[in-house]
Amino acid sequence: MNLIAPSPFGSEHFQNLKITAISQKIRGKLALPALLLVSFFLLAPLLLIFRYSFDLYDPKQLMQDIFTFQNYYKIYSDPFYKNVLWVTAQIAFLSTIFTLLFAIPVAYFVSRTQSERRRSFLIIIIVLPLLLGNAVRSAAWMLVMGTKGLINASLIGLGLADNPLTILFTPTAVVVALVSVLLPYAIITLQSVMDSIPTSLEEAARALGYSPFHSFVRIVFPLAMPGIIAAGAICFALAMNAYATPVLIGGPKMKMMGPVVYEQIAKISNWPFGSALACILMLTTLVLTILSTRYLHKKYF
Amino acid sequence: MRQYSFGYWIFLFFVILILTFVIAPLFVIIWASFFSDKILVFPPTSYTFNWFINAWDIKDFSNGFIMSVELGLCASLISLLLGVPAALAIERQSFQFKETIRQILLSPMYVPGIVAGAAIYIYFIQLEIFTDLQLAGTFKGLLIAHTLIALPWTIRLICASLMMTSLAAEEAAASLGASPFKVFFLVTLPSIRSGVIAAALFSFIASFSDLEKSLFIVGPGKTTLPIAIINYLEWNLDPTIAAVATVQILIIASALLISDRYINLGKAF
Repeated sequence: MNLIAPSPFGSEHFQNLKITAISQKIRGKLALPALLLVSFFLLAPLLLIFRYSFDLYDPKQLMQDIFTFQNYYKIYSDPFYKNVLWVTAQIAFLSTIFTLLFAIPVAYFVSRTQSERRRSFLIIIIVLPLLLGNAVRSAAWMLVMGTKGLINASLIGLGLADNPLTILFTPTAVVVALVSVLLPYAIITLQSVMDSIPTSLEEAARALGYSPFHSFVRIVFPLAMPGIIAAGAICFALAMNAYATPVLIGGPKMKMMGPVVYEQIAKISNWPFGSALACILMLTTLVLTILSTRYLHKKYF
Repeated sequence: MRQYSFGYWIFLFFVILILTFVIAPLFVIIWASFFSDKILVFPPTSYTFNWFINAWDIKDFSNGFIMSVELGLCASLISLLLGVPAALAIERQSFQFKETIRQILLSPMYVPGIVAGAAIYIYFIQLEIFTDLQLAGTFKGLLIAHTLIALPWTIRLICASLMMTSLAAEEAAASLGASPFKVFFLVTLPSIRSGVIAAALFSFIASFSDLEKSLFIVGPGKTTLPIAIINYLEWNLDPTIAAVATVQILIIASALLISDRYINLGKAF
């Protein structure tokens, strides 16, 4: 039995320090496997298509050693692709505006819900459609908006229409479906921003005679503005990159960037041109993401 | 009881309307999966369970379902094996370029699915030419893509979980002579257990519902459920597809309800 208590500065103490030092050294490298996976299978592929976007298409050869801006020039000069870009931007813009308009009141409602249970119930309702993925969500909207879908069946059943309306395969249908895709993202982002705005400010405004509506418009809305811009940027980027919604809800005539990238790369195998289109999407998304994080990290108080 | 003004009721009505807009299509599709008519008509003449059996008989759906479950399980397992150490490094250690490394590890979440899918596809084929290793159209290739989908979810949730547990217990264990491995398995891991469970569930959900990243990489006979769904939707819209969608809704909703017990969902996004 050891009767001598180990001194705080004895050998054991230094041994422990050494162990901690070793573990610290190891820990820095713990991120390495994950980093390698992302670098090898995401960053390297992105660099590869960036290089491809300056190449020229040759059906007999994969990559020629050419460096040209021709693909980008084609997107800019060819009326078809210029139109694709323009239609995509328009639809993305419209969907973003409607999404924000709808998301702001819901986010405010969620952030001012006190009961923890009711709050997590609301969050589940909001994120469930988001997590289902685009295939199931699009299928659901096709059922609602199709020629024999729920809306047309109800309209005819109620005697409000004689013939089924064409709802599916129109730009309006795409915007409606996209808004439902984007709403969860916007609500979740805005809800966390509004959480950070103290209720005491509204209470003070109310005590001084503001109506609830007024205190929202004059107090909460301006304070939440950076978050609203951030949410808008995220929504615009997501809408620009949409694939399933334009293909299934927009139909074959609806040409947006996502489906065109797929067509060029997987069907026609024009990798250089497809890569150039993909790089434009990537660049837009990158700029918007950086913008949104800048705004989200702004301190309010 | 508090008195609510007229304006408040309008606000409430508007909120409920928007929430209905978000969730109602899902109920329509669940409803339609029980319609007995082969061609979808609203309202149905009668109801049946047959479409679920019918859907399973379609090889694309049953194989796609099995493929998606396998991919989801493998991808969340691998992303835990890679993501937990990475999260430990980020939260517990200071080293150079940490912020950059964190951004890189989370980047799969921000790169648009269609761009990432296209890039990975081209990269796989290029790789095949140089090394004879076939990845496009194989389970291995899909697994790589799905691990990328799952990894940022894992890292984010584990980091959040590590941030909330205190360092004191780990330091105490280390100063009492526990090896780093012992500290991790006996102290750190038990205290982030709920974060690990949530990470696994969310990784599974993210992998299971992915469409865009897998789109380029799937091959004949190697299709995931969401891709089988959209291929079928291009030509048909019937109760069979509604039944398949209903199954996916049930799986993801139950995973979400379970994870709600472990983490604050509002903070997960």
